[in-house]
Amino acid sequence: MGNSVIVRRLGLLAVLALCVVLLALVPHLPSYYVRVVDSILIYIILAVGLNLVVGYAGLLDLGFIAFYAVGAYAYALLASGQFDIHLPFIVILFIGAAAGAIAGVLLGFPVLKLRGDYLAIVTLSFGEIIRIAINNADDLTNGPQGIAGLDRASLFGLPLTTPVHFYWLLLVLAITVCGGVYYMERSILGKAWRALREDQDVVRGLGINTTTLKLLAFALSAAIGGAGGVIFGAFQRFVSPESFTFQESLLVVLIIIIGGVGNIVGVIAGAVVLVVLPEVLHFAAQYRLLIYGVVLVTVIVLRPGGLVSPRFNLGFIIRKVRTLWLSPSKT
Amino acid sequence: MALALENVSKHFGSLVAIRNLSLSFDVGSIYSIIGPNGAGKSTVVNMIAGSYSVTSGAIRLGATALNRLPKHRIAQLGVSRTYQNLRLFDGMTVLENLEVCFFPQSWLTFLTGAKRLSKAERLEICHACLAEFHLSDVADVLAGDLPYGRQKILELARAFVTQAPIVLLDEPAAGLNHTETKDMAAMIAGLKREDRAIILVEHDMEMVMSISDRIDVLNYGELLCSGTPDLVRTNERVQEAYLGTTEELDDIRKLAQSRRAQGGLRANAGIVRH
Ligand SMILES: Nc1ncnc2c1ncn2[C@@H]1O[C@H](COP(=O)(O)OP(=O)(O)OP(=O)(O)O)[C@@H](O)[C@H]1O
Ligand SMILES: [Mg+2]
Repeated sequence: MGNSVIVRRLGLLAVLALCVVLLALVPHLPSYYVRVVDSILIYIILAVGLNLVVGYAGLLDLGFIAFYAVGAYAYALLASGQFDIHLPFIVILFIGAAAGAIAGVLLGFPVLKLRGDYLAIVTLSFGEIIRIAINNADDLTNGPQGIAGLDRASLFGLPLTTPVHFYWLLLVLAITVCGGVYYMERSILGKAWRALREDQDVVRGLGINTTTLKLLAFALSAAIGGAGGVIFGAFQRFVSPESFTFQESLLVVLIIIIGGVGNIVGVIAGAVVLVVLPEVLHFAAQYRLLIYGVVLVTVIVLRPGGLVSPRFNLGFIIRKVRTLWLSPSKT
Repeated sequence: MALALENVSKHFGSLVAIRNLSLSFDVGSIYSIIGPNGAGKSTVVNMIAGSYSVTSGAIRLGATALNRLPKHRIAQLGVSRTYQNLRLFDGMTVLENLEVCFFPQSWLTFLTGAKRLSKAERLEICHACLAEFHLSDVADVLAGDLPYGRQKILELARAFVTQAPIVLLDEPAAGLNHTETKDMAAMIAGLKREDRAIILVEHDMEMVMSISDRIDVLNYGELLCSGTPDLVRTNERVQEAYLGTTEELDDIRKLAQSRRAQGGLRANAGIVRH
């Protein structure tokens, strides 16, 4: 074994160690920074979830935040004084994911025949309908006032109250979601989705029911959105329709487009950029949308495929690490 | 298993693309459908595969009526096809283009894994298929990056990888040069099997005459004549209506040539992209 291999392996270890140290350092940062990181992680989860529909199945969904709302309200209704129901957080996490999936299928059914612009418009309306419905269902949701004083969450006896607690929870969930989606991407299901994106008609000609294929994408993606929403509810301990506007859906879509459609690494980069950007520029808060617009146009002009090249994906990184570790002579 | 068209007609608005067509195809043979441009050959293929509905009549596979079934059900029953214009998944690798054919066909198999091929089994079948079609060396190349001739072969492989009993080939040699066409003919002839019917739509007469067990001649959506290559070659009605005048014969030749030229351009484009 040559010296260079040892050097490269040490380099790899150093990079890994650096990642671990950085992640372990976050809890020691001032609370503001921890909140920003939490926010990044939430958006990573949402964007990776939405990416299943947009990036893999090739269906532009502009109403994704509706599923997030479903999850958040699941927590608000099942862990608060609203109806005096106080279910444990973990139970609601699953209920929220399931409710999201059901909502996803409900949205999926009517829009399955649509593609492109029409699909985008209908999903956009769906997101707005859910928000307006929440806004108007006073008896259930308190309407625009929202529901406050949600239960303090806890998980397996550990309290989930501070941003640091949520940091650990979100980190685990983000890694799980990324890993799960990566696994799906590589499975035959992921291949069928990619084929669907290229030529739906041919896919049907191969004996694949494209309806179920799309519904599955909608359901899984919405389940991730729902789970994210539950955590959001538990974190804020307050929900109101304001949090689930079209702008939020748009932000998640932008994260995907700016990072790199269909690429988990890209989506992570996109989430970091789009969450950090307004924080850095918070003195210009009223120009937030303008800034997004400028960033989007710049990225699209300079790097139409997104910030991260499609080649630099999770699979590429894993392959690199593996070859360096197992058969370094090949690298 | 036999496939039968019974009094099938297809209208596009006022245009009658197929009129009262009855044909039957049994496993174990290669059938060719020929006829001039616009005769309705692709329309027949599209109706069998479920891409087009039939205006009247019935299409049966064994005892099952195919018309009215959704397209993916027809494919699941054992009808696979290629397209007149290449339709590969360009952004996926050659291997993946075959793998995706093995996607579990129902929710039940998908969730329970029953009757479902394992990944290793799937890959083994696909690699064997790639070897059979001389594509092993490009297994990990994106389908869209292959030269045109090999894309045509990959589409052929995709139609055969699942061992469907009914395989519809819509102009597999369109755009191929003379040698490639000969190879393609040999390849298709070699794919003839007892448990498989190959239905071939093709303009290249040499290929059609050399590998078909039966030739069906369509003209303006009607069956002009049907029989062995020798019979069709000497049939008077075919001579008259299709091969009859030298003018028309020239037209067909020109067409075959122009398709070749098109393919040449596309093939070059493929190489440039490579
Ligand atoms: N989707 C469609 N809509 C309207 N007319 C169609 C459609 N498909 C085919 N036709 C018409 O039906 C007739 C038969 O077309 P078809 O494509 O079956 O011919 P073909 O025999 O395959 O010809 P070619 O040798 O050019 O491939 C043509 O007149 C064509 O214009
Ligand atoms: Mg045709």
